[in-house]
Amino acid sequence: MGLVPTPSIARTHVMNEPAIELRGLQHRYDTDLVLRGVDLRIEHGEVFGFLGHNGAGKTTAMNILTTLITPTAGTAAVCGYDVVTERSEVTRRIGYLPADVRMYGHMSALENLEFLAKLSGLPDARAAAMEALEFLGCADLAKRRVGTFSTGMRQRIGIAQAIVHRPHVLLLDEPTSGLDPMGVRQLRNTITQLNAELGMTVFMNTHLLSEVSKVCTTIGVLNHGELIYNDSIENTTLRFPDESSLEDIYVRVGGPTP
Amino acid sequence: MSESTRRITQVARHEYRAALRSRVLVILIAILVASTIGSVLIGASDYAAQLADYNTYRAAAEAQGLTRIAPSPLAVLALLRGALEYIEILGAIIAITLGYLSVSRERVNRTLPLMRSRPLTGAELATGSYLGALGIFATLIVATALVGVVSLGLIGHDWISPIQVLRVTLACLAALLYLSAFYCLGAIATARAKVPVNGLTIALGIWLVVVLVLPQIGDTLDADNQLPGGLFQALGLDHDGELAVLTHFTGYERVRTGIEEASLAKHFERFAFAMTDVKERYRPYGLSWLLNETRNNIAWLLAYAAVLFAALRRTLSRQQPIETGGNS
Repeated sequence: MGLVPTPSIARTHVMNEPAIELRGLQHRYDTDLVLRGVDLRIEHGEVFGFLGHNGAGKTTAMNILTTLITPTAGTAAVCGYDVVTERSEVTRRIGYLPADVRMYGHMSALENLEFLAKLSGLPDARAAAMEALEFLGCADLAKRRVGTFSTGMRQRIGIAQAIVHRPHVLLLDEPTSGLDPMGVRQLRNTITQLNAELGMTVFMNTHLLSEVSKVCTTIGVLNHGELIYNDSIENTTLRFPDESSLEDIYVRVGGPTP
Repeated sequence: MSESTRRITQVARHEYRAALRSRVLVILIAILVASTIGSVLIGASDYAAQLADYNTYRAAAEAQGLTRIAPSPLAVLALLRGALEYIEILGAIIAITLGYLSVSRERVNRTLPLMRSRPLTGAELATGSYLGALGIFATLIVATALVGVVSLGLIGHDWISPIQVLRVTLACLAALLYLSAFYCLGAIATARAKVPVNGLTIALGIWLVVVLVLPQIGDTLDADNQLPGGLFQALGLDHDGELAVLTHFTGYERVRTGIEEASLAKHFERFAFAMTDVKERYRPYGLSWLLNETRNNIAWLLAYAAVLFAALRRTLSRQQPIETGGNS
């Protein structure tokens, strides 16, 4: 059974606007300015790797895009919808995988997914949940309690909950954290599959440069709340022909060694 | 059904099921139900004996051809007093615990961001959780009332009339309002506290003052309601003497009355006791008279429930779904 991006949402509007657009985005925690006027545009179909050291502001940017926090200044939009004033439209179009995803441990994977799918307004939530599990090749986990899952299994169910409502934009916060090499490889394949087969735009926070070079089409580097670099992987390789790896490029453009 | 209503219903169902899966809550509910049933069963068997005595007297009086036979002094619904008092005290603790669990579960599991990154708003989350909690309370109250009423019939040998069923139902509705207010208190305190368990402690502290301390102050110093050991009784003053003394303490009397009026537990108790014939002075009157007499208590209960629910909606709407200030 295959998943298809939901056609019910006004796709014309969606496709005419960039998948994600940040304009002068700022955020402050008390006196600490963690995002300093970030401007960024991500087109549909891209797999965007948001790089930066711990505390650079990546998670804050993602929390703004997921509508979980309100920016102090500037604007952020998903598919042309403002995350503050059009929250409901935004949340219909995003799928979110938090770092260290947790779910209801006493419920089965299918129950967790069904509950979240219903909150997204899916009419046949159970079928959608089952489809998502089958798409990710983990239908065998459907009836098992999430509390008994390993990190890798939890991550797969986490992705399933993020895609169960067929979002246009998938927001992944440090998706590889805690995964073993096999898990990382599996996740990489999943991201590629979601992008290629379902046409989802992927926005991924990470500091694993090896993953970025294998999966992403575009990268952005955030340093102390400022976007110091943003270009496609292709152009990046052309611009820095002398550097042998993305890690070298990352250091070159100003990011500290991850 | 609108999309918003569907989401609220979904959260309510989720809340209801999650509450039933909480071991702490189930134990507390079991204690409440066992205490209530125990109290009603003991009362009902005692009542059966008293009813038999009265029926013997009545049969003897009729056999002697007496025309003036004393009416039964028994009030079957008054046997529910224990149940109402358990709801007043233990029920409030259960409601606060449910409010705490409802908020802390999402915070500790870190599932709040998953829910709030969907079209669900804070107000919908609050309403859904509240309705789920009402479902739990309704189940608890209805089960307790049913066991109580059936026990009165089977053991007390006195099946209650339809109008008495209505009065018990009204008392149950008051209990629902009362418990919902404490649920909101527990949930608000937990949502506002940095560490969830501190919210529970604060809510239980407020419960202690509102349910135990304030009504006790009122009862101990009330000239109309002297407990053994009360101030005026200890001074050996009769009722007129008490009133005469109190004319010199109008400010104090105003404060005391205010404290009593502010007590949510008092309002619930007065209304529920009036409905169930616990207070002897209410027994001669019909339902419409009782409702009119206790309208003030009904209004206070409604006001408390409405204000606390509004505060819960506001708190959860403003609550950040994630702990901020950490890894940025």
